[in-house]
Amino acid sequence: MTADSHALTTSTGEQSPVAGLTHDARGGISNVVLGMLLFLTSEVMFFGGLFAAYFNVRANAPHWPTINPESITAANPAGEQFQLAILPLVGPATVLLILSSFTCQYAVWAIRRGDRTAFLRNIGVTFAIGVTFLLMQATDYVALANEGLTLSAGTYGTTYFTLTGFHGAHVFGGAIMLGVVLYRGLAGQFSARHHDAVEAVSLYWHFVDVVWILLFSLLYLLPGK
Amino acid sequence: MHPLRHPRNAIFVGAVFSALGLLYLGIQTVAGWPHVDYAGTTMLILLGVAMSILFYVLIAGSPND
Repeated sequence: MTADSHALTTSTGEQSPVAGLTHDARGGISNVVLGMLLFLTSEVMFFGGLFAAYFNVRANAPHWPTINPESITAANPAGEQFQLAILPLVGPATVLLILSSFTCQYAVWAIRRGDRTAFLRNIGVTFAIGVTFLLMQATDYVALANEGLTLSAGTYGTTYFTLTGFHGAHVFGGAIMLGVVLYRGLAGQFSARHHDAVEAVSLYWHFVDVVWILLFSLLYLLPGK
Repeated sequence: MHPLRHPRNAIFVGAVFSALGLLYLGIQTVAGWPHVDYAGTTMLILLGVAMSILFYVLIAGSPND
């Protein structure tokens, strides 16, 4: 890595074909972004395993969502299926998380052009939305537990909490990264030339957002059977 | 010089795996297999996504000279 590792143009003066990311002066990717991309590659397969397990369990279950054992009574021996509510928490939380991807990208664009004020404002909003999402998810977990849906409530509860729990853990990790970036930004450590960490964290945040959109579609929008 | 004119085109190499996954699902559905392998299909499709990122990194991360 050279001192010119953040230049967006090649040594021949041409605009880099991948100028959207920070690159080596000779056309390569900076170490930080490279590391994050490789990490995300492994994360795709990690969530792939979870999704595969979900589809397999779902395909082999007679009912999906499964029957809530607490709903089985003498008057209703068949019981009722678990139900997930999009409102009042999950739907708004999803909108917020999608919104945070935009604010995160605005922060990246701002620091690329050297606008530190806009960068700090947008990365701060992204951090706040991330924390809000986690609080909303925790509140939703409590509401679900009160309705009988827990980690030990059969295959449905296990798959639901495993998928959303691991995603929540990733959001938590992302919020920590955003907090570090915000702290370093306030300390004036980023500029138009030096902002690899911002680029890497934004890639991670977009990934977490895409995973949630898939999860939300699977768990809340895909019709049961 | 990159083997591909634009590194972004490298994702199409990875997309081959996703296409294989969809083909695998299609064959099972059309042939009417009693048990559709959803887990294998999911892993193949997402392997394509992972490979796409990896091929992009391999091409975009290489120096021009």
